[in-house]
Amino acid sequence: MRIGRSQRFDQARPFAVLGLALAAWFVAPIAVKKVARASFFEMTAPLAVTASYASNLQRFWALRIHSKDELIEAGRDMARLNSSYSLSVQQNGELQAEVERLQALLKMPPLEKFRFEHAQVAQRDFSGWWQRMVIRKGADYDIPVGAPVVYSGGVVGRVSEVHAYTSVVQLTSDPGLRIAAVVDGDTRPISYQGGENQVFGAARGVVEFLPLDVYASGTAPKRLATSGLGGVYPPGLTIGRIIHVESSQDGLFKTGEVELDPRLSELTEVTVLVPESPE
Amino acid sequence: MRGALALFLTTYLLRALVAEVNSALSGTHVWIFAGGLFVAYSALMMPFGEGFSASVLGGLLCDAVTPVAFGTHTALFAVAHAVVYNARERLQRDETSVRVFVALLLNLALFLALTFARIRAAHEAAAAWPRMLSDLAWSEAALALIAPWFFALQLRTLELARAQPPRAA
Repeated sequence: MRIGRSQRFDQARPFAVLGLALAAWFVAPIAVKKVARASFFEMTAPLAVTASYASNLQRFWALRIHSKDELIEAGRDMARLNSSYSLSVQQNGELQAEVERLQALLKMPPLEKFRFEHAQVAQRDFSGWWQRMVIRKGADYDIPVGAPVVYSGGVVGRVSEVHAYTSVVQLTSDPGLRIAAVVDGDTRPISYQGGENQVFGAARGVVEFLPLDVYASGTAPKRLATSGLGGVYPPGLTIGRIIHVESSQDGLFKTGEVELDPRLSELTEVTVLVPESPE
Repeated sequence: MRGALALFLTTYLLRALVAEVNSALSGTHVWIFAGGLFVAYSALMMPFGEGFSASVLGGLLCDAVTPVAFGTHTALFAVAHAVVYNARERLQRDETSVRVFVALLLNLALFLALTFARIRAAHEAAAAWPRMLSDLAWSEAALALIAPWFFALQLRTLELARAQPPRAA
């Protein structure tokens, strides 16, 4: 009889410990959980960053095997690009000055200014549940949570977590990310949300609340850009291309499918737009 | 406690390796989940206290690097540990093939549990399932491949830490 009871207790012991552990977890203060989360993340960060530096070194040695002729050619192409960009910078300066003059004339509030913080991508984590990447700059470069992240093709996403010397970026392809957007040439705001990301295919998103007079298809796609509403992303940054639209169930709006740039899943460097406080 | 820390060291290494593999595969949108390996060996071979601590530490590590409510992986790993520990005397747990089979089953159960926890965020849950099933298939294949090596690594680490588990009866 005693043995039977002892066996039953032995069998129940794992579940009793489990119940106690779960109860302790539920009553643990939030501060304890936050400290635990930050500590465990920082524990993993050195390996991710070291692997990223090792990858940079590998790329460096791979580039070293290029012939001098190839380097001369690349240098020549870069010089051409530089000259065209210099011209664009001059034009941009003039346009910026004109915008400021008009803002002053119309007494409009000034547009938000950003500091560009370039950062290397240390790790990418693209599951079906979430789409995010770790970059090699964090609190050490005053990166704030919520800052927009961009690259040459448009929006990458937003900073969702900031750690000591790394940050986590939630991508536009993440099903949990929403952005206020506009269709190119239209000012009416619509809602963009990251969608499913099928294996071996390009990342997709969805748009909702599209006006009924907006048409797009795979052969005649429409560019989707940030609207500037919501105060996170500056206006006019490319999100993707609307490649399919259809009427929503209520018939009041349309919903659409957005194709994101395939480069988004292979980025090695991004720029964080850090909002500058007005002087 | 030395055994728990030795096992945690191996799961830390495993997480780093899986994260690097996932980063490399990001262009193809293939993603590997190896949650089953965080629990299998500690639940099958270790005394309850040490094994449970190792599984919980592994869960905390996974929670810290994923955008889920902190404690999700920890709770799932703890439940999985308790269930496998309770059933382990009925298994030929000294055989690698049995350990691999348990790891595969655990991986499947943990993956599905996490999917149900996360699927609400998706715009269209039904459209997300093909990707989930594909990730699951890749994960199981990868896990079957690396599990024997990982169990050997765990055993060797425990030997070095002089915290070998007692052999199964």
